Amino acid sequence: MIGFNELIKIFFTKYTVFVSPNISYYFKHFIEFLIKMIILYGGVLSFAGILTLLERKISALIQDRVGPERANIWKFTLWGLFHPLADGIKMIMKEDFIPEKANKILFTISPIIVIFSVLIVFVFLPFGNYLEIFGYKIKLIVIETDLAIFMVIALSSLAIYGVFGGGFFSGNTWGIIGSMRAVSQMISYEVITLFSLLPMLMIYNASTLHQVIEKQTNMIFGFIPSWGIILQPFAFIFFLTAALCENKRTPFDVVEGESEIIGYFIEYSSMRFGAFMFAEYIEIIFFSMIITIFFLGGWHIPFLHDYGFVFGSYIIKMPSQIIYLMEIVSFGFKVASVSIFIIFLRWTLPRFRFDQIVSLAWKGILPLSIINIIITAILLRFMK
Amino acid sequence: MIKVKNIKIKELNFFERIYIIEIIKGLIITLKHFFSNFKANIIGGKITTIRYPEEEIPILGKARLKSKHRIKLRHDGTPKCVACMLCATICPAQCIYIEADETPLPVEKYPKIFNIDLSLCVMCGLCVEACPEDAISMDSGVFEGGVYSRKQSASRGGLFYTKKELFKNLEHEKESELGASNGLIFRRD
Repeated sequence: MIGFNELIKIFFTKYTVFVSPNISYYFKHFIEFLIKMIILYGGVLSFAGILTLLERKISALIQDRVGPERANIWKFTLWGLFHPLADGIKMIMKEDFIPEKANKILFTISPIIVIFSVLIVFVFLPFGNYLEIFGYKIKLIVIETDLAIFMVIALSSLAIYGVFGGGFFSGNTWGIIGSMRAVSQMISYEVITLFSLLPMLMIYNASTLHQVIEKQTNMIFGFIPSWGIILQPFAFIFFLTAALCENKRTPFDVVEGESEIIGYFIEYSSMRFGAFMFAEYIEIIFFSMIITIFFLGGWHIPFLHDYGFVFGSYIIKMPSQIIYLMEIVSFGFKVASVSIFIIFLRWTLPRFRFDQIVSLAWKGILPLSIINIIITAILLRFMK
Repeated sequence: MIKVKNIKIKELNFFERIYIIEIIKGLIITLKHFFSNFKANIIGGKITTIRYPEEEIPILGKARLKSKHRIKLRHDGTPKCVACMLCATICPAQCIYIEADETPLPVEKYPKIFNIDLSLCVMCGLCVEACPEDAISMDSGVFEGGVYSRKQSASRGGLFYTKKELFKNLEHEKESELGASNGLIFRRD
């Protein structure tokens, strides 16, 4: 068990080179930490960039259009892959405008809070089993702690301050309406995110997220993977709904409501707006990772064991390095497919009304998720 | 008596109210569109979009009769315009400027300067209606109006049309013999 005090101790002792007398030990840990951070954040940020393109491309294909494909370097378009780059350059070059009525400091801080709170949560999430370099095993999770899931939910809910501040201190009425909607919506669904994950923690009887995934690697009857989506389909649906709502995407996008009020970031321009938009896409990845960890078995590939594939009596042996790499790819694939599924949902469903969203949370999903917790508890009690 | 029509809104049944089945139905529709378009983009097939500067479709209907202006020429290369100023007078945008001069031909007058500032033109077609000689017409078939400079002449990529750009015949065009005073020339031939 690692508590919060220990967590802070780890952060200030394990990864600080200068304090320690035993430099080589800490240096090794520091390098390990650095490798993990580069893999994790490199992957997340570049995938967030690609998601902005994917969203436009998928929406185009759904609506019988062609989508972005014109950005090129020397007539070389690469299926539109230069568009995120062009977007980034455009955002930096735009005028950075602060309205007269806005509170300058809070207006500036708000996007920083949002992007900070969505980026920091990734340190608690595992993104693969192990990585083996020169015989040295690296556990692919930056900070492993029992508090992970609570830290994740607490830190990600910090984004509310940024969202609220962005709208409220911009001095724009639409911004205030948007941020009020955003806050009430996010607070409503914050409860459901935790309540839909609680039965999962109860079933797995695990606290760290690494253990949560290891508990899912069993097979039921030898051929059904015991992933969370099979054990707890309702919790999956509740969590997906709550995640979409936390993310403020369609069908719960009254905050933005493209044709209506634009929302809390109406006064933002340039890279400040870019931070809000980028945070939305990073949040998609974050929720996809949580869904993958809790409901889709993390890096687990069915029939893959520590030494290779096993189909009944038929065995394909593989070296452990390749298995670990396959597990990372499997995790990435699952995260990408859930992200794309969320994008598909956006371009399929119409928008909910605001009162419908809030009543769906408090009258619909919240009681159901509590009932789900109780039933799970009773069943677990009887199965013991 | 006012007729009142009561419209009954169909109540959703239980399965429709829990949304999930309906969401899956909707997803199937979008997935169908997605994959058919994906296939068309990768392998090749019917794409609705016309990639405009590379691809063009023939202009529909009578739309080709409201394209950019031109002045028709006679078989000897002189303009059919007799500088009567009717088009410059009727033009609501006042974008046509003409200076007349004498000519030894039986029509006696010809335009020394004929300018149309297309950045002012509203494409109403009144000049074509007013022309007694069937000289000015809007059937050149050129629609693209995007330029970088308004003031520069059309040959340099602007919107200011002078004699040089305006006086032209279309390819394979049958010479028009219409016109009040142009009749003098054609009849004498």
